[in-house]
Amino acid sequence: MRVFAVAIAFSVGLLVLLGYFVPSETLLVDVRLVLVQWAVILAAVAVLVGVLNLLGVHWQKIQRRQKGGAYSILLIVSLFSAAVLGIFVGTDSPTLRFYLEAIIIPAEATLMALLAVTLVYASARLLRHRPDLMSFLFLGTAVITLFAAAPLPFGKVPPLNLLSDFLSPWLTQVFATAGSRGILIGIALGAITTGLRAMFGIDRQYGGN
Amino acid sequence: MAISSELLSAIISFLMTIFILSYLIRDNPLFRAAIYVFVGISAGYVAAVAWRQVLFPLLIEPIWTGAVFSNPAQAILLFFPLIGSAFLLTKVSPRLGGLGHLPMAYLVGIGAGVTIGGAVLGTLIPQINSTFEAFDLELAAASGRNLLLTTVNSSIMLLGVIGTLAYFHFGARLHSDGSVRRNVFINILTWVGRIYIAITFGVLFAGVYSAALTALIERIDSMRIFFNQITLSL
Repeated sequence: MRVFAVAIAFSVGLLVLLGYFVPSETLLVDVRLVLVQWAVILAAVAVLVGVLNLLGVHWQKIQRRQKGGAYSILLIVSLFSAAVLGIFVGTDSPTLRFYLEAIIIPAEATLMALLAVTLVYASARLLRHRPDLMSFLFLGTAVITLFAAAPLPFGKVPPLNLLSDFLSPWLTQVFATAGSRGILIGIALGAITTGLRAMFGIDRQYGGN
Repeated sequence: MAISSELLSAIISFLMTIFILSYLIRDNPLFRAAIYVFVGISAGYVAAVAWRQVLFPLLIEPIWTGAVFSNPAQAILLFFPLIGSAFLLTKVSPRLGGLGHLPMAYLVGIGAGVTIGGAVLGTLIPQINSTFEAFDLELAAASGRNLLLTTVNSSIMLLGVIGTLAYFHFGARLHSDGSVRRNVFINILTWVGRIYIAITFGVLFAGVYSAALTALIERIDSMRIFFNQITLSL
């Protein structure tokens, strides 16, 4: 079974990879499209398996009367109501849209809003626990970028105009671009290595030691 | 008095906002209840989307309507994902879960192929090209930029790219005194790379903070509108 799994991962990975580097009119590109469509179907099934697993974990929590079981009841009821409505009535039904507008969007926006406070708290902690050159550079750049982007009530008065007209664009377009380019190239090299390790069966994320 | 769906939506939205913002005081049951409801609704919604947008039209409908039986090619194309789906569903059971390794291996293989292809064609080659294209003085002259300034800025960028990459190089050599150290040249580049990374994360932090602040202002404004609605309806 293990050898078979590695053979599947290697062969489909290689076929998809070759599909990227051959001319677009060849059979290999069609094969890649079919393989990716099967993967989309299997990924959707994997999502369902994940949701079923979530249900199972919380169902066990309720059955064993563990701490926080009342929250699990809330989760199961809300999960069932959204899933049943979505599957039988449709994802664009008014009730599901109501869930989206009344619960999902406000919750996501408020979690994002919490970040505004926690980031300030984290910055203060950073300065207290690691007051070194890198921390000052990091926070100094953040403050300069924020000030340069903010519409100040008294307008662009000297020397503040230097921030928005010279320093901030220079930091963003030269230093931050170089840094993010280096990070992106590093991520790409890491992704290639991880992908090759998965394809050759050195790392088996799909199970089987 | 009948409550309109808009008002009910505004009330629930307001409660969700207050419950989640209550986390600023400390972790509390209201925050947890809101988060569990949010996770439940989101998971149910994702499951419904996976069923309605992918599984039903691509896998179930062709079998349900019998379209697959009149077209042998489609039947062959559907056979593999159907078997794979059945194997994947065994992951729910601890006893039969081993069968799920095969479709998972398939997904990992596809993911690896797509990731490597995307990383090479979508990131590695374009980013390296952009780094060296910055030195294109003909292009700079055509767009009316100062050539000296362009060269200086491009050199600063090249140094930053190399320095940032050096920062993530963790190779070291065993020296005669028994210590494991990095090359001095790599150490200098790493120090330069740290400066660039600090500035890059500072800019990213500013972007994320702006987005978070926008969300906070939007939530506060939505609460103000809610209070106005309530006041007007009274």
